[in-house]
Amino acid sequence: MAGRRVALKAVDWLAFAERVPPNQKSMFNALKTRSDSIAAKLNSLPQTPAAIDWSFYRSAVAKAGMVEEFENKFKALQVPEPIDTQSSAINAQETEANVGALAYIENSKARIAQYEKELEKFNNMIPFDQMTIEDLNNTFPETKLDKVKYPYWPHKPISDL
Amino acid sequence: MLSRLVIVSGNALKGSGLLGAGLVQASRSLHTSSQSLAPVPPLPKEGGKVRHGIFPEEIFQFLYPKTGVTGPYMLGTGLIVYLLSKELYVINQETIYAASILSIIIYGVKKYGSSVAAFADKLNEEKMAKAQAVKDASVTGLIQAIENEKKEQWRVEGRSMLFDAKRNNVAMLLEINYRERLHMVTNEVKRRLDYQVALQDLHRRMEQEHMVNWVEKSVIGSLTPQQEKESIAKCISDLKTLAKTTQAKVVA
Repeated sequence: MAGRRVALKAVDWLAFAERVPPNQKSMFNALKTRSDSIAAKLNSLPQTPAAIDWSFYRSAVAKAGMVEEFENKFKALQVPEPIDTQSSAINAQETEANVGALAYIENSKARIAQYEKELEKFNNMIPFDQMTIEDLNNTFPETKLDKVKYPYWPHKPISDL
Repeated sequence: MLSRLVIVSGNALKGSGLLGAGLVQASRSLHTSSQSLAPVPPLPKEGGKVRHGIFPEEIFQFLYPKTGVTGPYMLGTGLIVYLLSKELYVINQETIYAASILSIIIYGVKKYGSSVAAFADKLNEEKMAKAQAVKDASVTGLIQAIENEKKEQWRVEGRSMLFDAKRNNVAMLLEINYRERLHMVTNEVKRRLDYQVALQDLHRRMEQEHMVNWVEKSVIGSLTPQQEKESIAKCISDLKTLAKTTQAKVVA
């Protein structure tokens, strides 16, 4: 009946809270409350139950052999440990989340590259007061007027004005 | 004005000092690949220097080495006199019209030119400021977006904490369950033992009570009427003697 130590990996809740995005705050709080209540319950239970004073009962109970029988059976009894059914599910969830997270990071890096390209364009362009119309059209192609398709002023559809 | 611009920019490009207009234009190499790829020099903010409101300074500078300082004026005067004497230019009523129109134009330019220029400049500056504001806004927006993306990536890195917490919870729940089972077994065994002890105590107490009752009953049953009468008489005599002694004590 020896107590079993739990291998707990310490979770830094403060650092964790910083990393939680604002829109998942409530879910995080729910998890935190639940974890805290579980931890409090675990702490309230002593690791080994209070030992039974066999000698007292042996002297107190008159019926011969009864206490010995109880003791032997109690000592022989092996309490089954509860089976862990959720860890595999959590591991599967984690691998799935890893795949999703890697994809997200890839996309995010692509987005950053795109933003940086645009930023570079803005930083490298000719100052507006030294631009010609051709420079403007080169820098911002959407300002170029298609005079072949729309031969009359304003050289673009009226709805775009 | 545009011809002046060519002269000025030609001078700037050549990098040499003052050169004549014709010389600059002849020696300026246009449409070469190196120049066409070079950035266009910014437009000058101010116009070039002019004399009498119309004649470029460069013409005078060009003529000075040949003619001296009065040469340009002499050239102009000579040109006018030549046109008049050969009747290439005939003074008629049109000239009067031209002179009056010209004077009106000059008056208008002198009077309203600066304010019109300021208004035009203001329009241009507003347009530039608007474009610049849009550019600045998009630059800050992009920087912000990049920062946000990096922060989101950093947050994604924290997902292991979530799974650690979940695994911890499962482990703690298992441990709680196990401990509860241990406690339950121990408590149940203890309760049964306590029951045995209590049962024994109950047996013993019942036996004692029964014994006491039985002894009392047999004692009362063994008393005879003769004994009872004697005991009552004995009691009365005892009371009498007690009363006497107390009376004697009170009197004394």
